[in-house]
Amino acid sequence: MSGRRLPGVLVLAAALGIWEALARARPSFLVPPASAVFERAGQVWPTREFLATVAASLERLAAGYTIGAAAGIAVGILMGASPAARRSLEPLAEFLRALPPIAIVPVAVVVLGLGNGMRIAVIAFGVCFPVLVNAWEGVRTVSPEARDTAAMLHVRGRELLYRFFLPAALPSIVAGLRVALSIGLVMLVISEFVGSPDGLGHYIRFQQSQFNVPELYGGILFLGLLGYVLNTLFLVAERRLLAWQDGAAGEPVR
Amino acid sequence: MSRSADGLVLRVSRLVKRFADDGPPALCDVSFDVSKGELLAVVGPSGCGKTTLLRVLAGLSTPTEGAVFLGERTFSRPPREVALVFQDYGRSLFPWLSVIGNVMFPLRRLPRSERIGRAEAVLEQMGLRHVAGRHPWELSGGMQQRVAIARALVSRPEILLLDEPFASVDALTRAELQDVLLQLHGEPEHRRVTIVHVTHDIDEAVYLADRVLVLSPAPGRLVGAVEVGLARPRSQTITRSSAQFLAVRNEIHALIAAQPAIRSDGSRAG
Repeated sequence: MSGRRLPGVLVLAAALGIWEALARARPSFLVPPASAVFERAGQVWPTREFLATVAASLERLAAGYTIGAAAGIAVGILMGASPAARRSLEPLAEFLRALPPIAIVPVAVVVLGLGNGMRIAVIAFGVCFPVLVNAWEGVRTVSPEARDTAAMLHVRGRELLYRFFLPAALPSIVAGLRVALSIGLVMLVISEFVGSPDGLGHYIRFQQSQFNVPELYGGILFLGLLGYVLNTLFLVAERRLLAWQDGAAGEPVR
Repeated sequence: MSRSADGLVLRVSRLVKRFADDGPPALCDVSFDVSKGELLAVVGPSGCGKTTLLRVLAGLSTPTEGAVFLGERTFSRPPREVALVFQDYGRSLFPWLSVIGNVMFPLRRLPRSERIGRAEAVLEQMGLRHVAGRHPWELSGGMQQRVAIARALVSRPEILLLDEPFASVDALTRAELQDVLLQLHGEPEHRRVTIVHVTHDIDEAVYLADRVLVLSPAPGRLVGAVEVGLARPRSQTITRSSAQFLAVRNEIHALIAAQPAIRSDGSRAG
């Protein structure tokens, strides 16, 4: 472990220590000590049943994220590249993006029912707009010189979108994809709160209803770790995808 | 280099360019011919419409009045036979592609082996072979502009347009790039490439060109065309210190000095 990480690890350990101490000082059924939560997690997490519920969540997240990201990239690039597309789509996009995505859930339940389709659609909806806005912005800020260059190199039509605007806007698109990842996780859990037979959102909701408090806390802990791992994987992928940008004009890879 | 009658490649006829319908013209009644293999320089003060002229020649902008003929035809978007090198290499090279990726880009419809072969040949010619796998931003400004020139040459254009190509590099690199340009213009296989080079550097124009067109301050109009007539091959030391060089240079300075230095509003920098 490098010395730079040490303070962060110490604060994390201190937080767990304080949790443990407070829970032991005033024992309460509703706030179990950290050690009890970890102990229970050690028993529950490796079970086939828990892993199946994690797998169900990850499948929904992957499907919804892929669909939402693809739609956001495609429409965002189109809006950035074509003034006609921008004029016709901007009011709708601005309206939908201003909606808190969680508010769409009741509507989605009414329209799509309580199946997987609804959950994937809700995740895709939440993921789509940050990606769309960033893709649009990325294309809009391509310099006039670069556009002239593309024109001189006879890049036209669909080729202009995927050979020029897509790579030119990629740093911005990736920033949107990163924001969208955490929104996707939020939408996943929310969608599994309603009528889901499995998944992490269902798990948390179910343990709460059964007053299985250590399991409830364990579910939250798992979600936090999942978010952390996904974000770390994302950063690794980003570094590879944008290796060309390292040191190039514009913001460096973080 | 003489201009033979059969070798006319570009004809600019009574060109007027306005950016707004009722605005002042950026270019006013400009007419000239460019012949095959000629190296033509266009000089003039900042804002005289040099860049505007080049953009029209490149097909990036359309004439408001008059016409530009490439051979027998007019055009409204960049023709295949024309390549353009911009002043701002930092923005015109694609940062997501390597050096050879940038140079191969214009050949993207050709089979891979042919693309690589042609790109490598041009990189060799431009002294870029050893940096083929690098990214443009890893290179110095002079090297980046060489990449931009290589990318322009790889499609074997008939006409190479240069917009202040050496204005963003230091003086030593500029001299070096000027000689690179002279060399590629003089090489037999590139003998046929016609170059229109826009610059505000009169010495550079005289050093490089067969003929120098002089534009007035905005609205840009053609105030003179000076035959350079210096022997080739040219050299930074001998050519630039010759009496003939100084005479041509002074003639151009006199043409520019004879113009009123008043600029109308709304003119475009260039």
